[in-house]
Amino acid sequence: MAKLKPFTMPKWGIEMSEGTLAEWQVAENQPFAKGTVLTLIETDKITNEVEAEADGRFVRLIAEPGQTYPVGALLAVLSDGGEATAAEIDAVVASFKAVDAGFAPDGDEAPAPAAAVPVVEAAPAQIAIPDGMAISPVAREKALAAGLDVAALSGSGRGGRITAQDVDEALRPAAAPSLVGVLPPTPASPVFATPMARRIAAIHAVDLATVAGSGPRGRVRKADVLAAVPASAPAPVAQPVPAAPAPAVSAPVAPPPATPGSVDVLPMTSMRRTIARRLTEAKQQIPHFYVRRRVRADRLLALRAAVQGQRPSVNDYLIRACALALMEVPQVNIQVHGQDIHRFGSADIAVAVATERGLVTPIVQGADELSVAQISERMAGLAQRARSGKLKAEEFSGGSFSLSNLGGFGVEQFDAIINPPQGAILAVGTARPEPIDDDGAIRIVPVLHLSLSCDHRAIDGADGGRFMAALAHLIENPALL
Amino acid sequence: MAIMTIRDAILQTLHAEMERDPNIMLLGEDVVGGNGTAGGPEAIGGIWGTSGGLYAKFGPDRVIDTPISESAIVGAAAGAALAGKRPVAELMFADFVGVSLDQIWNQIAKFRYMFGGKTKCPAVIRLIYGAGMNTAAQHSQSVYAMLTAMPGLKVVLPATPADAKGLLTEALRGDDPVMFFEHKAMYGVKGEVPEGDHRQRFGEARMVREGGDVTIVACGRMVNFSEKAADKLAADGIGCDLIDLRTTSPLDEEAILDSVEATGRLVVVDESPPRCSLAADICALVATKGFTSLKAPPELITGPHSPIPFARELERAWVPSPQKIEAAVRRVLAR
Repeated sequence: MAKLKPFTMPKWGIEMSEGTLAEWQVAENQPFAKGTVLTLIETDKITNEVEAEADGRFVRLIAEPGQTYPVGALLAVLSDGGEATAAEIDAVVASFKAVDAGFAPDGDEAPAPAAAVPVVEAAPAQIAIPDGMAISPVAREKALAAGLDVAALSGSGRGGRITAQDVDEALRPAAAPSLVGVLPPTPASPVFATPMARRIAAIHAVDLATVAGSGPRGRVRKADVLAAVPASAPAPVAQPVPAAPAPAVSAPVAPPPATPGSVDVLPMTSMRRTIARRLTEAKQQIPHFYVRRRVRADRLLALRAAVQGQRPSVNDYLIRACALALMEVPQVNIQVHGQDIHRFGSADIAVAVATERGLVTPIVQGADELSVAQISERMAGLAQRARSGKLKAEEFSGGSFSLSNLGGFGVEQFDAIINPPQGAILAVGTARPEPIDDDGAIRIVPVLHLSLSCDHRAIDGADGGRFMAALAHLIENPALL
Repeated sequence: MAIMTIRDAILQTLHAEMERDPNIMLLGEDVVGGNGTAGGPEAIGGIWGTSGGLYAKFGPDRVIDTPISESAIVGAAAGAALAGKRPVAELMFADFVGVSLDQIWNQIAKFRYMFGGKTKCPAVIRLIYGAGMNTAAQHSQSVYAMLTAMPGLKVVLPATPADAKGLLTEALRGDDPVMFFEHKAMYGVKGEVPEGDHRQRFGEARMVREGGDVTIVACGRMVNFSEKAADKLAADGIGCDLIDLRTTSPLDEEAILDSVEATGRLVVVDESPPRCSLAADICALVATKGFTSLKAPPELITGPHSPIPFARELERAWVPSPQKIEAAVRRVLAR
């Protein structure tokens, strides 16, 4: 009978906690000699070969190429050479117990049973404390005076000695603290200031850059910001939570206690927090203005309907139209970086994609150089990777312009928040039948409502208007696309 | 912003700074990573993967493998820094800083002071520290409190990739000796790192979470654990100000005291034994300067006063955990 043993994820170096099986180099039941490369395994540092330590064969390959496994996980069942029945192999798999050879980067420990809380009974009026007991003189006096049975206390002093503080706390009635709760994250600011100064500045909408710092090396301190808060505003001296919400900052509200059937408290995921922070900064710091326009979409829809085979979406046409309009009006094809405006030579268009975890904006690079069909193909891949969380960093960072389309939800029209450092974003609603003036005649055709949000620090109304005119011309004459 | 690990943030910063400043040099055990092997000088790569490609780019004069002698490594760095270089000395395990303590404590930390400011010693000592990787009592310790106690040194502990870059850049641009602590279990931690020139001032704490009920002060890996605890507590409506010190010398006293004045409750988390620890130091600060704000005795979450055990289960029990931090926050709120 063949001798079977588990083949597990190796551990290379003290830091390795998991590895990805790149590929199997031998097939199931293919005999191999000592030294044969069996598999390639990737870690975050290296890709390495695993060689056979002895002649043998795999009687079952368990791990899937491309999947990641913790150190010590069962990857395959190894035989010394002979064949094995399925039942024998199943027995090896069933009896396998992974050796915990990794380390826990997150520091979790097994949950321990909660320590019993000492219950202080209604104390007898007269108690005795043995002379030899480990208790401080003051604690003894206090306990005797209050009639507290110190035998039930666990002392916090060395060797369990009871202190006056232990007695005080045992005598104090238990009270639930009134909670302030979680506070909204304070927006980042390049100004050199203490955390509390930043928080108070945000609550009272004080611009930190205008406050002179009195701390070391000019650091802005709490007192500096409080001095800059207008006298009419409530001054939160030691209590940073205002009674009434100040403008631009939502009031931090402690969530209600979780009772069945009431409010679910969902902590934000890190992605949600990032979205929250970036959009708050954008809406607070960028002077938005909006240019709106309706365009007839009948010809565009007719053109799309005539496409044979794989049909691009309306959004794919709009990406192409935006790209061409950006080439015509380069003043809108920009990013804003402090005092500099970065004008782009190509149209890198970020497209908002809703995923289960939140909003993602993958980027169609160089959309001006791509046909509608190419854009459609590119977008399908990007959207799929966005939904599965597999976008590469370069696929969602950068971009010179954004497009957000809520037409699929029947939304007629909306305004979007600029995605910094980009200079503008186009919000598109659904194509809805509306009457238009068609060369003097009233006709009812599908109409799109477009709204362009612009960063007025870099883009003027005339630029926005010109862009919308170019875009409308392209959509209404889709042969140009 | 790019997403990268702390390891890559440090490696990229070393590459960028060594390109920028020809006086920067790296020395330490096996930093070249393969000298004398058949595969060539860089065949294996340094043990922590924080020096890859440096030797090929900057050559043997600026990337130097040393004997296994911390005294020699730090002594050479001290001399090179006095002579106008900007050495980065890697101590593979911070535990062995003791061997080089005279070079650090009596020499590097004192030169500028004892020569009346007429010289400077811009040496950066990178100390790889911390428990959690099953490396036993002599390779797991966090010795930052000891160096924090020595005037003349700056002591830095990044907890994020962005801070690893910002603080290392700041160390390499400054004129003072810097003890740069890298936690061996955190090299794989990923996060956003700003592009281009990114410097993070020393002595400026980071507010990681904001809340009005308890102040948690932590540094290094304990920041990550405290984040987990704070997020769990947030689900119960308990808000924590979580302060990442970033540097223990200089110390951002104001960030701590301002926060305790608002919350009235303090939990300090420190990956070291409790006596004369950073936790004890912060607690003393608050007891002396924030006493009237305290509504409850502070909680110090540290390891016990014992060596760090090798057995995995015991080591886990030794290191402060998110669960212990969470329990401490609930305790200070119940008092």
